[in-house]
Amino acid sequence: MQQHILEIKNLSKSYGETVALANFSLDLGKGEVLGLLGPNGAGKTTLISILSGTLRDFTGSVTFKGQDLFADRGLKNLIGIVPQEMAFYEDLNATENLLFWGGLYAIPEKELKKRARELLALVELGARAREPVKKFSGGMKRRLNVAIGLIHRPELLLLDEPTVGIDVQAKMSILDIIRNVGREGTSVVFTTHQLSEVEQTCARIAIMDRGTILAQGTLAELIRIVGEKEVVEVSGEFSAAAFSAIIQQFDGNGMEVLSVTDNQAHLAFADPERIPAMMQHLFQRHLPIADLKIKSPNLEAVFLKMTGRSLRD
Amino acid sequence: MSRTTLIVRNDLRRRLRAPMATILFLVIPLAMTGVIGMVFNPGADNRTQLPPIRLLVVDNDKDLAAKFLLGAFDQKELKDMFQVTLTDTATGEALMRKGKASAMLVIPEHFSDDLADQKPTALEVVKNPSEEFLPGVAEEFAATMAVGFSALAQVFADELKVIKSVRNLSLEAVTIADMTPFLEMARAKIIALRSYLSPLLLTVSSSTTTRPGREARASGFNIFSYIFPGMLIMFLLFTIEPSLREIQNERADGKTRRMMFSPLSGLELVTARIFSGWLLGMAVCLLAMGAGTLIFGIDWVSYPLQLALVAAACLCCAALFAMLNAFFRNKNQAGAFASPIILVFSAFGGSLLPLEQLPAGMRWVGRFTINNWFITGCREIMDGRLPIAALLVLTVSGLFFAAVAMAVLPRRLSAG
Repeated sequence: MQQHILEIKNLSKSYGETVALANFSLDLGKGEVLGLLGPNGAGKTTLISILSGTLRDFTGSVTFKGQDLFADRGLKNLIGIVPQEMAFYEDLNATENLLFWGGLYAIPEKELKKRARELLALVELGARAREPVKKFSGGMKRRLNVAIGLIHRPELLLLDEPTVGIDVQAKMSILDIIRNVGREGTSVVFTTHQLSEVEQTCARIAIMDRGTILAQGTLAELIRIVGEKEVVEVSGEFSAAAFSAIIQQFDGNGMEVLSVTDNQAHLAFADPERIPAMMQHLFQRHLPIADLKIKSPNLEAVFLKMTGRSLRD
Repeated sequence: MSRTTLIVRNDLRRRLRAPMATILFLVIPLAMTGVIGMVFNPGADNRTQLPPIRLLVVDNDKDLAAKFLLGAFDQKELKDMFQVTLTDTATGEALMRKGKASAMLVIPEHFSDDLADQKPTALEVVKNPSEEFLPGVAEEFAATMAVGFSALAQVFADELKVIKSVRNLSLEAVTIADMTPFLEMARAKIIALRSYLSPLLLTVSSSTTTRPGREARASGFNIFSYIFPGMLIMFLLFTIEPSLREIQNERADGKTRRMMFSPLSGLELVTARIFSGWLLGMAVCLLAMGAGTLIFGIDWVSYPLQLALVAAACLCCAALFAMLNAFFRNKNQAGAFASPIILVFSAFGGSLLPLEQLPAGMRWVGRFTINNWFITGCREIMDGRLPIAALLVLTVSGLFFAAVAMAVLPRRLSAG
């Protein structure tokens, strides 16, 4: 049985009437890369804030390597964080930033300098190491942000939406870094609301919404939740109420309504041959449909099934 | 290297990378001191020299005492001090309205006769309300003359009566024999007075010392040394404040969260921030004081005492802003409140107006400002005194503010 490096049990946190985390439980193995997938407001950042010790007044427990994470300050030496913000000094250069943030972990200076060089090479910033960070592009800054989280060789790395606001190329580069870190034995918790990112990067995926985990497993395991069904995405100028009323009149044998919102609906079909009949039913009732897509079973379908809403909501 | 030292070094390095704000806060107090000093017209040697007092004199008496009084203004020292213009009342008032004179001295009718008859009489001084200082000097001078004339009139009362009677007669009608008894009386009084006045039994010798046994190098008053400490402490507050506001900036941009996730404790971070502010303040303050000496010839008198005072003031400033940032909710609030606080401190504490010119109520409030104690301490050192109260107040307040900041801020920082 794999020993868990991180165990979160029944974590709950509320902001007044709003529940951010509700009996949230999760565990993570050594070297495992876990993608925490959820829409905005799902509770991802609250979870990272609690793990990083900047949010209090919660219930539940978090153990790291079998010890209470919040009781032993020494454990902080073993955990790295990559916050959503570009948390570094823009008026310093990349090397100076790494040496400063690494210095907080009491790493010997010689080793720290060596580690800084290695990391700059890993995030492909070696050639720009002496330039002030304020001259960097958004992608370069994001890569430096990740490098700082790794400067003290953490056993657990927490990344809070590390790819926000950057182009595709920079995003791919960061996802590569995350995969490499996982391969080297560092456990990673990686929050995002981009399905493609977790599909490409994570060995295990947890879908969370409204402060709790709805489903978790490998990509294949999660897709089995939906089953081998075709997913139809219907778009147009209709209201959720109008669509629901019309689709209820359709003989839904083998069809599952995954989600319905204004202008968009997702339906899963066990028998793809029923799709044309469904389309005819919609057209006959003059539902203003603009687009219709048929998709193979994927994580998005799982997410829609589990949360009843799209990640863009 | 300790984590506190690491943060301090990082802060100072960043300040050196973008030195413009610090340089401005170093240059502005020097420039403002220079401008204000120039307005008050210092001489080439930086010693203040009063301009001549433009005094209008309306002589409604035109007799002996009035002539005697006017003659006094022809003496060397008074001639340098007063620029006397004889005029009549209407013209004098018109000139005063136009601001052409500092004061008008009106010698009343029958001034000489009233003195001779031992009757009360009054010299009138009309002061120009648009001037602060020079009319006061003219008034003081008139008051001194009044005392002198009163004394002479009383001592030579009998002689004045004779002089008055003689004036009304033709010279042919007065014989030496008539005058002899009075001349003898006057002679006796002059001889008696001479024993008091020549030589004077009591004389005043004046000198200015900086510390016991040491005579001052300069005998004048350097207006820059009067203005500069106030400017210096105001801009010291402006210099140190941004260092402590970094606490809010770093909370907003996630650096604090990242720091708090490292083994760094909130207490270490607050200590480092206060120390950074203190160190930066010390460096800027000492540079400014050196520049003050080179540019304005300010004599700080005791460098060890000034260093102690600057250290205490910088501690107080840094700790004050650390404490305030423990209660500010965010960087916008910190930014909005910091400058007004500094300006209020400066207005009440004597940076913008001399402490002596402030109303009593403001001066009382001013005792709760860093500016007041720094300026007072500086002046005490320049006067050769120990600034014990200033040092004590600044140090104890600084330690108190630091203690509050260290108690409250770490919890807020840990909360991200």
